[in-house]
Amino acid sequence: METYLWITSVWGIYLTAVVFFGGMAWRIYQWATTPKSPIRLGMFPKPKTGAGRFSKMLTDTFIAPQSFKIEPTMWLFAFAFHIAALGAFVGHARLFREFPILPELLGEAGMNSFAAWSGSIAGIIMLVGVLYWIGRRTYGPFKNLSVPEDYLLLFLLLGVIAMGDHMRFVYGDIVHAATYREWFMSVMTFKPAFPAKLLESNVGISLGTHMLFTDLFLMYFPFSKLVHSIGAFSSNLVRSE
Amino acid sequence: MDSTQLTTLTGVIDKKMNRQLKQYMDICARCAICKDACHQYVGTGDFKYLPARRAELIRQIYKKYFTKTGEFVPALYEARDPDDNLLDELYDSTYACTGCRRCMYYCPFSIDTAWILSVAKAILIAAGRGNEMLGQLADAALFKGDNVEMFKDVIVSGFKDIEVEVQEITGNPNAQVPVDKQGADILYVALAGAHSIRPAAVIFEEAGANWTISMFEAANYGFFDGDIEKARLITKRFIDEAKRLGVKEIVVPECGHAYRVLELFYEAWSKEKMPFKVSHILEKVDEYIKDGSITVEKGLLTGTVTYHDPCQIGRNGGIFEQPRDIVQSLTDNFVDLTPNREQQWCCGGGGGIVAMEEFTETRLDRGTQHTPRSGYRCTSGHRPRGRSDAAQGQEAHARIDEPRDREPQRGTLRGAPFASSPDSDAQAAAYRTRLGSTARGRASNHKRISQ
Ligand code: HEM
Ligand code: SF4
Ligand code: SF4
Repeated sequence: METYLWITSVWGIYLTAVVFFGGMAWRIYQWATTPKSPIRLGMFPKPKTGAGRFSKMLTDTFIAPQSFKIEPTMWLFAFAFHIAALGAFVGHARLFREFPILPELLGEAGMNSFAAWSGSIAGIIMLVGVLYWIGRRTYGPFKNLSVPEDYLLLFLLLGVIAMGDHMRFVYGDIVHAATYREWFMSVMTFKPAFPAKLLESNVGISLGTHMLFTDLFLMYFPFSKLVHSIGAFSSNLVRSE
Repeated sequence: MDSTQLTTLTGVIDKKMNRQLKQYMDICARCAICKDACHQYVGTGDFKYLPARRAELIRQIYKKYFTKTGEFVPALYEARDPDDNLLDELYDSTYACTGCRRCMYYCPFSIDTAWILSVAKAILIAAGRGNEMLGQLADAALFKGDNVEMFKDVIVSGFKDIEVEVQEITGNPNAQVPVDKQGADILYVALAGAHSIRPAAVIFEEAGANWTISMFEAANYGFFDGDIEKARLITKRFIDEAKRLGVKEIVVPECGHAYRVLELFYEAWSKEKMPFKVSHILEKVDEYIKDGSITVEKGLLTGTVTYHDPCQIGRNGGIFEQPRDIVQSLTDNFVDLTPNREQQWCCGGGGGIVAMEEFTETRLDRGTQHTPRSGYRCTSGHRPRGRSDAAQGQEAHARIDEPRDREPQRGTLRGAPFASSPDSDAQAAAYRTRLGSTARGRASNHKRISQ
């Protein structure tokens, strides 16, 4: 198990970081160095001021009111998923350090229980979201439109989420954030080591698999349609140019 | 496939590549939110008309030849060569698209499918698969541009015939349809056909405008065909004319693409600033009503009157309120359709599709018109369909405050009847008569669509 953890949760992380950040930088570089269309592709009505355009872009990107109007169900799942993903992402910040604001407000035990239920909700929403998308892609025009890339991403994401949820729901009472932080900070400071607690229990397998999927997901991310996470801003800005 | 052909076709993408296109290629989530935005997909349920699918064909080539991942693992993206199979489907999905950009409105990333399809058109043309009809019409327009002396007498005598009618309508024996008038303020570029000239001429004359009419027509088949160089040259014909005559303003007729080409594309194509203002005829009429240059009589229209926003001047051109103001100066019974303005459905007849016989079925199967539920009919020649999603589209489209039970009449709200509709001649005649009477200011019922 130790080898598995070393591969997925130490070396895998280093490799992923290089591929992910390098890939994203490459993607942004490519976009930035390709000349803009000389024709303005905006549509009307458009805000008159730059600030207006910018705030419309943010609304369109984060709320997508038009998409809501045409397909509310899909919007709901997509919105819930992305918020939950954001929540989960922020939650992972606890791997770096305990941010003092919440624990001060809630107390140590309060913080742990807050993290437990908020993380659990996020984990469940993401799981439901991904299952919904997989389901949606199995019929009708959605099926015809889908390509293997779509399934690959959803499959990897399902792995990430399922194993994350597994760690939370099965081992949540045994292993707490502090333990994971010890491991994660050791990786971050290039002195990788695994706390005994991770190696003793079977949580190591879960963590290793969670990280395996995460590594693969993030390594593929910059080369997939998921670059919409950064491209959406500029393409939505073009809408009001 | 043949390697020279391949190089040619990928070369087209390379040449057309820009940041927007690249992002559109890279970020589409294939979420299919756009599917219900497209009147053709809603009307036919045919997969090839799903907006993201239309773009996906270009994406398949892009992935294979412009990305490393697609080159190494094409299967992941279903990336492939622009072979005959692909080009066959691409032809249908591309030339059927009316360029309404309703899909872009609803897309969470504002992906402009019509823009992607402008690249598709360039590819098809390079493959010798451009639309023949549109190509011929574009060439004819260019030929006319190069040989205008040859056509001049015929054109001018046509204008003279209309002039007589304008004199009758206005009751002014000195009313003119001036051609080649040096020092005119306005150059009006009409469509080919009296229906597009007479009403405007009457209005300009009544308003006392210092105007002149172009020898050329505003419709741009080069743009429809997707040959941007031809589109530019077709536009340049009357740009040069406007410069030569020293006008201050070009007014384009109902044709929405003409407006967009002139107002939004031409400067980028020609890389020069236009020394005149561009207006749509509806903007001009609104201006004349508001500044008192022409007067209109309210109350001659009976029944409820509405307005259907044309995509190219509405969502894609930014003219929303002026036409409504015009209608409201004619009636107190104006009611907006649901949806309206930037969300309005495409009428189904744009993008040159009416000139292409082969897409008649597609055009008619759109299933999103107002009729019969509302008793209003926004465009001619469309018939309702029984498919469930078509009905759904209709539902969305047809809500209007005051449903009418009268049999809707074929008619058009905004302009010329479509050439390929079976009764278009009769309709055109009726339309002409109605417009004639409008201009006289007595029975302004050209906006009446259901009676
Ligand atoms: C500002 C940022 C983002 C915006 C506006 C955005 C928007 C969207 C939208 C509109 C969809 C379409 C829904 C669908 O495909 O079913 C989508 C799908 C998706 N997004 Fe995002 N997203 C953003 C960031 C992210 C990030 C950071 C991730 C990484 C986890 C992500 C992962 C996904 C996934 C996995 C899908 C589902 C694709 C599928 O259906 O197969 N998104 N996103
Ligand atoms: S709505 Fe936009 S992102 Fe979604 S499939 Fe259509 S074009 Fe792609
Ligand atoms: S531009 Fe209009 S016709 Fe073309 S794909 Fe989009 S919605 Fe359909």
